[in-house]
Amino acid sequence: MGYSSKSPWLIHYDGSSCNGCDIEVLDALTPLYDIERFGIINTGNPKHADIFLVTGSVNHQNIGVVQHIYEQMLEPKVVVACGVCACTGGVFRDCYNVLGGVDKAIPVDVYAPGCAIRPESIIDAVLEGVKVLDAKADRMRRGLPAVDPETAPAVSGSEAGASAAVNLAAKEATN
Amino acid sequence: MAIIGMLIAVPLVAAALLLVARDDSQRDPIAIVAAIIIAMLAALTAVTYLNAPAFFEVPVSVAELGTYAAAIIDVLLGFIILSYAIRYRNAWALGLGAVQLATAIWCGVLAFESTEHGATPLYIDNLSVIMVLIVGVVGSLICVYALGYMKDFQAHQGEGAPDRRHQFMALMFLFLSAMFIIVLSDNMDWMLAGWEITTVCSFLMIGYAQNEESKKSALLQINLNMIGGIAFHVAIILMHGAGVPLSLSALPAFAAIVGTERLVLPLMLLAVAGLVKAAQMPFHSWLLGAMVAPTPTSALLHSSTMVKAGVFLLVKLAPLFLMVPVASLMVVFIGGVTFLLCSFMAISQSNAKRVLAYSTIANLGLISACAGVGTPPAVWAAVFLIIFHTVSKSLLFLCVGTVEHRIGSRNIEDMDGLFSRLPRLTRFMMLGIMGMFVAPFGMLISKWATLVSFAETGNAPFLVMLAFGSAATFFFWAKWLGKLAGVPQRAENEEGGVHRTEWAAIGSVAVLLLLSCVALPLLSQGVVGPYLAGVYAEAPSLIDIDNLVIMVVIVVFIAIVLLTPWGRATKKKRVEVYLGGQCTDPDTRRYHGSMGRTMTSSKRNWYMEDIFGEPLITRIGVIISSAVLFVAFAVSLMLSPALLSVPMLFSERNVLLVGPGLPGILIGIVCFAIAAPIIGCLLDGLDRKLSARMQGRVGPRLLQPYYDVRKLLQKEQASVNAVDEAYITCALISCTVAGGMFVSGSNLLMCVFLVTLATLFVVIAAYSARSPFADTGADRECLQVMSYEPMLLIMTMGFFAATQSFDVVQLTRLPAPIVTVLPPIFAGLLFILTIKLRKSPFDLSYSHHAHQELVKGITTEMSGRTLAKVEIMHWCESVLFLMWVGMFFIWDSPLSGVVALVVVAAVWFFEIWIDNNFARVKWQTCLKLAWLVALVAGLVNLSYVLLTPFI
Repeated sequence: MGYSSKSPWLIHYDGSSCNGCDIEVLDALTPLYDIERFGIINTGNPKHADIFLVTGSVNHQNIGVVQHIYEQMLEPKVVVACGVCACTGGVFRDCYNVLGGVDKAIPVDVYAPGCAIRPESIIDAVLEGVKVLDAKADRMRRGLPAVDPETAPAVSGSEAGASAAVNLAAKEATN
Repeated sequence: MAIIGMLIAVPLVAAALLLVARDDSQRDPIAIVAAIIIAMLAALTAVTYLNAPAFFEVPVSVAELGTYAAAIIDVLLGFIILSYAIRYRNAWALGLGAVQLATAIWCGVLAFESTEHGATPLYIDNLSVIMVLIVGVVGSLICVYALGYMKDFQAHQGEGAPDRRHQFMALMFLFLSAMFIIVLSDNMDWMLAGWEITTVCSFLMIGYAQNEESKKSALLQINLNMIGGIAFHVAIILMHGAGVPLSLSALPAFAAIVGTERLVLPLMLLAVAGLVKAAQMPFHSWLLGAMVAPTPTSALLHSSTMVKAGVFLLVKLAPLFLMVPVASLMVVFIGGVTFLLCSFMAISQSNAKRVLAYSTIANLGLISACAGVGTPPAVWAAVFLIIFHTVSKSLLFLCVGTVEHRIGSRNIEDMDGLFSRLPRLTRFMMLGIMGMFVAPFGMLISKWATLVSFAETGNAPFLVMLAFGSAATFFFWAKWLGKLAGVPQRAENEEGGVHRTEWAAIGSVAVLLLLSCVALPLLSQGVVGPYLAGVYAEAPSLIDIDNLVIMVVIVVFIAIVLLTPWGRATKKKRVEVYLGGQCTDPDTRRYHGSMGRTMTSSKRNWYMEDIFGEPLITRIGVIISSAVLFVAFAVSLMLSPALLSVPMLFSERNVLLVGPGLPGILIGIVCFAIAAPIIGCLLDGLDRKLSARMQGRVGPRLLQPYYDVRKLLQKEQASVNAVDEAYITCALISCTVAGGMFVSGSNLLMCVFLVTLATLFVVIAAYSARSPFADTGADRECLQVMSYEPMLLIMTMGFFAATQSFDVVQLTRLPAPIVTVLPPIFAGLLFILTIKLRKSPFDLSYSHHAHQELVKGITTEMSGRTLAKVEIMHWCESVLFLMWVGMFFIWDSPLSGVVALVVVAAVWFFEIWIDNNFARVKWQTCLKLAWLVALVAGLVNLSYVLLTPFI
């Protein structure tokens, strides 16, 4: 087990969320859920962060921001789409200004649905994400590019990308 | 003797030739050859007369002739001043000029009447050798620099402006000659002539541009300096009247035999003359005005010559100050107040030359105060301050002058991005700035000796002033340094047009700065030590030679980091600065604002005008220092001379040098480098665990900090520029060396200085990113340093007062722990520990509380390995700071280790408790509280420990 998975630092970005999921993200930071147990820290700085937690859908206004923050993060890095809007656009997906889920902008590694997402799901999603982190770190150690071209999630929500990424919805269904 | 004559004559000849040579093709070779000859003569003088003080005997007729000439020159200068006063229609100048002329004539008459002309009007000792070197080498380099500078200056004046550069160059060389007369004359009539020549020369040089502003400044200069001149004349008249020999070096011996009763008033007047020349409050404004002059004038006047003449006289008089307390207190008080207040005022200045001016005045204040104390360590400090101030400050003046011509501004705000635009100049400037205030460079070593000397005379208020002034010094230099350190991504190199003469001068002065730092142990043992042995029959040994060696190594290291491409991570992936995810152009810091606008983030330096505003502080300073002058003179006129010449009370404090040698220190560094990260990491983990428990959480694993760092080391390597990681590495190294010195039982003061150096490197690394978030963090870090620095210095002073040593190992030989005599200082340390450990409520620059600091302040632009190094540095620092706490409970007992550990554990727990129970405060509160605590704890505690020996 690598060190990346033991110290995942987060940056949280609110796309066009209704703030329901954001409240839940903050909830996960409270003593009740205490995500620092897993070494998780909310850094708020893309250069320090390993996990990009996006809530809400991507629209014309924020797509550049989402991409910019993603670019500023350093490998190994993982994107977690928090809540159904971030996964697919949710109930807003037909709005004139909404482009869809986060995968319209950047490759998403973990989809965590819910409206609003529950703190347990967030924790679960991050812990799924750290596995990807470790895998990427392992590749980097071996001198390979961090992103595996075969299993990497694709942008623009192509079917292949979505299925390759961990889909928490399926996992939830089995629980 | 012939060399001395040449030394005075060559600049005179050069001046005459330059007055005739009106063409560049003639002027350049004359000036360069003359400068080389002068520098070589100065070197030759140094080689010949080093450690061989000598009076130069001349035939009586020559001595007589010289004295007559001096008197005639003096009177002539009086007439020149009067004529200018009339031409400029200035009433003050007219009045003072008339008085000056009258006193000059009186002096002249006395000189002609006197039969005692002394067969030895010239004298040289090690102090004079140092001054000759300063004037001869640095002064002539400035003259060479002036050649190129004045070409640009003339070009900036526009077509058709009268070309009076020949006068300017002639004046500069005349100035050098006059300086040589001052520093080599033993006969005070001769010295006075040189003294007045420098006054008039600088008057003409300041007024060179002949516009309203320069005329005003020139008149201010001459008016204030005439006060000093009149004081000098009156002193000489009084000495004639009292039958005191007019031999500067014979005065201490005369005083020792005959007593000081007849010397009190002349000494006071000479001190005033020195203070005016050295631009001390309330006379300091002439030096500020002189900044309108072309930069070579400022460089010559303010770094190597004019003001140094003032402090030279004061240092010469130092042995007398020991015997005449009223004069001593006057000089010390004025020097101390000037140092403190001018350091404060430098914070509020954005004009680079005014910052330099205030820092010059402040440093001269320190030198004057040291001279005023008059003990051997004080004079040691004064001489070293003179040397290091000269080289650092002239380097800075020359760089600022050239930069001004390149960028068309002398405003610090406009120096943004110079690191790439003028790479070489900027690096020299950074070196100069570091030379002014950073640990291993000479200036701080001199402050060390200052500290000892103030402690000897029980001067608690001045120690406190020194502590606060030094803290302010850090702040204004660090923020300027930060501005220079910013690395823009895209910038054109604009260094092409710098004249070769300018490069030659700047490069040589930079080399001199490094050389004088490297040669510091030699200078101390071989030059200043023998001088003090000659004057006081004892040479203080303040610093272990091993410590000096370490300092030299660090200076060399810093020079390598600054001036060579070492540590430049050119292969690292280059990333943009963080601008909230809205960046459009990172180099100009442009980002998408709301409503589709493009915004630019700009950052000014931090001037704190509401706290350190110039008008208010100037007023306070002038009132205080004038009051001191008046009171001192009133006292010396009213009280009987017998009462006034009761010698100064002072308890000699020989610094015990008990620290380990170089091998010991090296072992300490290795031990610290291995143990501190491990202990610090565990402490950090425990801290997070404890904090979590206090908040009702489980918290992370104990080794979480270790995992974090390991993860950071695995991250992709990227950086906003090629230099920030090198700076952070330097910070880590300085911190480790500081810790190593402490655990090996070596010097505490140096440990504190090195920790400050480490912080400075972190600050520069943050500034180098030119990111709005990192800049703000760095600014706040500087503020934090300014807040806690006084308390740290007071802690070391208390340590010294309690143990007679700066070496930590001395603690194990004490019968009782030092906390028994230093409880207020211990409390003060606990207070600032919260700032140093970056605990809430004082975690201004960087916080681990997500709700207080979102983008991570000073570390915003650092990532991966760089950030890991910052973390490791924090671990080491925490361990070191906790050891400082434990140090208060160590004494000559095996039990003490256990006691110290228990106290450290309790303090550490207390800090975590504070961290979790207080919200971050505003910076004003941080500064106010920290300074209040330092002031009260410092004054109370230092007064107590320093006055005990007298009671």
